Amino acid sequence: MSEICYHCSLPVVEAGIFSRSIAGVEREFCCFACQTVCQTIYDSGLQSFYQKTPEGETLSPPAEIPAELASYDSDEVQADYVDKLGEQRTIHLLIEGIHCAACVWLIEHSLAKIEGVISADVNLTTKRLRLVWNNQYIALSAILQSLAKVGYGAVPFDPDTAEGALARRHRGLLYRMAFAGFAMMNLMWIAIALYSGADQGEFRNWFQWIGFIIATPTLLYSGYPFLRNAVLGLRRRYLTMDLPIAIGALATYSYSTYITIANPANGEVYFDTVVNFLFVILVGRYLEAISKKQALSATRRLLELQPKLATVISDTGNKIVPVRSVLIGDLVLVKPGEKIPVDGLIVEGKSAVDESMLTGESIPIFKKLNDKVVAGSINGEGAFTVRAEQVLRNTALAKIVALMEDAQASKAPIQSLTDKIVPWFVLITLSLATITFFYWNQFDFEIALLAATSVLIITCPCAFGLATPMSVAVATGVGANRGILIKQGAALEALSQVTHIVFDKTGTLTEGKLRVVNIELFTDVSEGDLLLLAASVEQHSEHSIAVAIQQEATDKQLTTLPATNFISSPGEGINATIDGKHVVVGTQAWMLKHEVKNEQRYQTRIDELEQQGVSCVFIAIDGELSGLLGLVDELRADARNVITQLQAQNVAITVLSGDREAVVVAVTTDLGDIFRHAEVMPKDKADTIRYLQAQGDIVAMVGDGVNDAPALIQADVGIALASGTDVSIESADIVLSHNELHQVVQARRLAHKTLRTIKQNIVLSISYNIVMVPLAMMALVSPIVAALTMPVSSLLVIANAARIRRLFER
Amino acid sequence: MEVIYGLLPGMLLLGLVGVGIFFWAVRSGQYDDMDGAANRILMDDEPIVDEKSEDTSTNSD
Repeated sequence: MSEICYHCSLPVVEAGIFSRSIAGVEREFCCFACQTVCQTIYDSGLQSFYQKTPEGETLSPPAEIPAELASYDSDEVQADYVDKLGEQRTIHLLIEGIHCAACVWLIEHSLAKIEGVISADVNLTTKRLRLVWNNQYIALSAILQSLAKVGYGAVPFDPDTAEGALARRHRGLLYRMAFAGFAMMNLMWIAIALYSGADQGEFRNWFQWIGFIIATPTLLYSGYPFLRNAVLGLRRRYLTMDLPIAIGALATYSYSTYITIANPANGEVYFDTVVNFLFVILVGRYLEAISKKQALSATRRLLELQPKLATVISDTGNKIVPVRSVLIGDLVLVKPGEKIPVDGLIVEGKSAVDESMLTGESIPIFKKLNDKVVAGSINGEGAFTVRAEQVLRNTALAKIVALMEDAQASKAPIQSLTDKIVPWFVLITLSLATITFFYWNQFDFEIALLAATSVLIITCPCAFGLATPMSVAVATGVGANRGILIKQGAALEALSQVTHIVFDKTGTLTEGKLRVVNIELFTDVSEGDLLLLAASVEQHSEHSIAVAIQQEATDKQLTTLPATNFISSPGEGINATIDGKHVVVGTQAWMLKHEVKNEQRYQTRIDELEQQGVSCVFIAIDGELSGLLGLVDELRADARNVITQLQAQNVAITVLSGDREAVVVAVTTDLGDIFRHAEVMPKDKADTIRYLQAQGDIVAMVGDGVNDAPALIQADVGIALASGTDVSIESADIVLSHNELHQVVQARRLAHKTLRTIKQNIVLSISYNIVMVPLAMMALVSPIVAALTMPVSSLLVIANAARIRRLFER
Repeated sequence: MEVIYGLLPGMLLLGLVGVGIFFWAVRSGQYDDMDGAANRILMDDEPIVDEKSEDTSTNSD
C-alpha cells in the first residue's frame, strides 16, 4: 500500500479510509475530494495526466465545489466579465490549484471534450483561463462545474480593470526594446561596412544617411522614456540616471547627424553607438519590469478572489446580483460556507463566522441576531440574513485597504544604494565632459566635440545602470522559485541591514490551528475514554475545535464509536448518545444549559488554564462534568529554529500580539530571549515599530492579518505570509508564498548576497570608469573604442549578477 | 556596387516586416505565458483514450 495520496501525493493519514479501485488497481487517497477527482479524470480518459505530472510534485488539494455556480449564468452577472452578451462569449477566469504544465493539459483537454466549448487557453504563468463558449449549447456554470470535478476552482475576473495599465506599460517597453534590437542589428552591418573601408569610397555618405534613417526613429521611439524622464527630472531639479543617458545619446546623435549633413572629408558617424546603447539599457529596464510584474500579479490575484455576487432577498423572491448593485438596507442572504459580501447586522439566523482575514483570529466567532458581520469574512455552517449597512468602497475591509493605499503613497520609497550614488555620478560625468570640451576647444573644435562625447559615452552608465536592476532581477527570479516574492527590489537592500525583526504571534509564529495539549479528568473516567467520547461526538463536525479533537484521537490511534441523536448549536456545543451514554461536549455556557453538575472547585483550575491561553472544551457524561480538553494554538514547528538562527546573526526579536500577557508568555516560552509585547491594539502595532525605529533599529515586520497592515507599511521591510489576508499581502514588500518561517532566513541570505553583488557591480563599473575616463579626457580614446569597451563592462556586470543564482545550490 | 542603393532600403523593408510580425505576436498575447507554451508542446504526444466512446479528437468546434 502506498503511503501517499495517488492524486495529490500528500501523505495519507490512515490507509484504507479513502481507497478505491481505479481502473482495476487499488489506490490510496488522502481525502474524498482527491478520490472523486481521480475517478473523474479516469472516467474521462485523461489518466495520462498522472504520467505528465513531474516526479515528486505535490498537487494542491482539489478546490471545493461551490454551491452557487448557477448564479454565474445570469446575463446581469456575466455583463461584468464577458466581452459581449452574444451567442458566443469570452470570459477570463482565475484558476485555483494550477501548478504545473500537466494541470494546463488536464484543464484544456477536459474542457475541449465538452460540447459548446469553443476554445480554452490556460496561461500557466498567470494561472488564468481564457474561455470561449457557445451560450446556446452550454451554460457557464456547467463548464465551471466540470472544472471543479477535475479539481480546479474558477473565479471570473475582468483583466482590464485588474491590471490594464501595468500590462500596457509592460508591452510598451517590450515594443521599444524590440524596435531598438531591430535597429541595432541593421546598423551593425552599416557600421561594419564603414569601419572596413566604405568610409573612404563613394558610398560613404549613402551609408551615413542610411544610419541616420535607422537611428532617428530609434532615438525618438525607443529612447522616448529616457528623454521624457530626463526632462521631468530636470524640472523637479533631480539628477536621474536618465539624464546622462539622454545627454549621451543626444550628443552622439547630434554629432553624427552634423557629420552626415555637412559631410566633411573626415569625421565618423556613431549612430550604431546610440542604438546599441539604448538597446542595452532597455533590456535592463525590461528585466526590472518583469520581476516587478511577477510579484504584483501574485498579490493582485488574491485580491481578485473576493466575493462578487450577493443573494438579495426581495418581495419577488431571492435574486443573485453583482455585489456592486446591492443597496444599503437590502437584505442579503448568506449561505453556509459563503464569503460575506457586505457589512451589516444579522436580522435573522445565526452562525459561526471566520473573521481571520480581518483579525487574524483563527477561531470562528459565533454571530447571532443583531451582531455585526463584515464583508470578506467566511460564513461557517449556518445560514443567516444580513441587512446591508455598507457596501463595496465603504466596507470596513475596503476602508482599511484605502487607508493603506494612502499610507503607501505617502511612504518615502526605500532609498537604494544606486539611488544615492546616481545624482553624484551624473553630476561628475557632466562636469568632466564639460571640462574636457572647453579644454580641447582652445585647440580644435572637432577634437573637443569628439573627446567630450567619448567621456559621455564611456561614463554613459551602461554597466552602472545595469548593476542594480540585473542583480535584483536575478534575485527576484531566484526568490520566486523558492517561494519568496519580492515586490520591491529596494526591500532586499533594506532587509540585509535589518537589526530587529518583529513577528506577529497569531497565524505567523503560530500555525493558527488548534491542538489538544492537555486532558483534565474530574471523574474516574480514563484519558483515552474521555478523548474517544469527545471525538465520537464531534466526528461529523468541521469546526476547528472538532477537527483538533478528531486529530488528537487519530494520533492516539483511537477509532471513533458510532453515535446517535446528534444535537448541536454552532458556537456552543454538541450532544450525542454513545453506547447508551448521553454525552455533552462544548463550552461552559453549553454545560450550564444542560444543567450539568459543574462543581465550583474546578473553576480555579479552569481560570488558570484560560490564563495560559488554553481554550477549554468540557465533556459531561450522563449529566456529570467528567473532564475537559485544553486546546492551544501552537508555535510553528520551525519557529524556534528560525528565531535562534536570526539571533545568531545579531538580530533582535520581538513578538507582538493582541492576546493577554500570560497567553503570549505561555505560547512563546520556548523561544528563549526575546522581547514580548502583549495586548497590543492594531494601531499600536505600527507605533511599536515606530518606537523601535526611533531607537535606531532597522525593523522588519512579519505578519499576516489585516491588523498587521499598518505595521507592515511602517516597518522598513514588511514581510507577509501568503496564507494571510489580502490586505497584509498588499502592504508588504516581500511575500512568503510557502508560509514557512524559515523563508525569512532564506530571504535574508538572498538579500545579503544581492546587496554584495550590487556593490561588486558598482565597484566594477566605477573602476572601469576610473581607467577609461582620464584616457577619454586626454582625447586618446575615439568614441568607437569607447563604444567597443562599453559592452565588455556591461557583460561583466551581467555575469556577476548571474552568480546570485548559485546561492541556494550549494 | 550601385546595387546597394536598392539593397539597403530593401534590407530595411524586410527588417520592418520582421518588427511588424513581432509587434503582432506581442499583441496577440504570445509572450504572455513563457512557461506554459514550452511545456505544452511536450504534452500532446498521445491521443486521449476515451473508454466510453471512440471519439479521440482533442478539439471540439
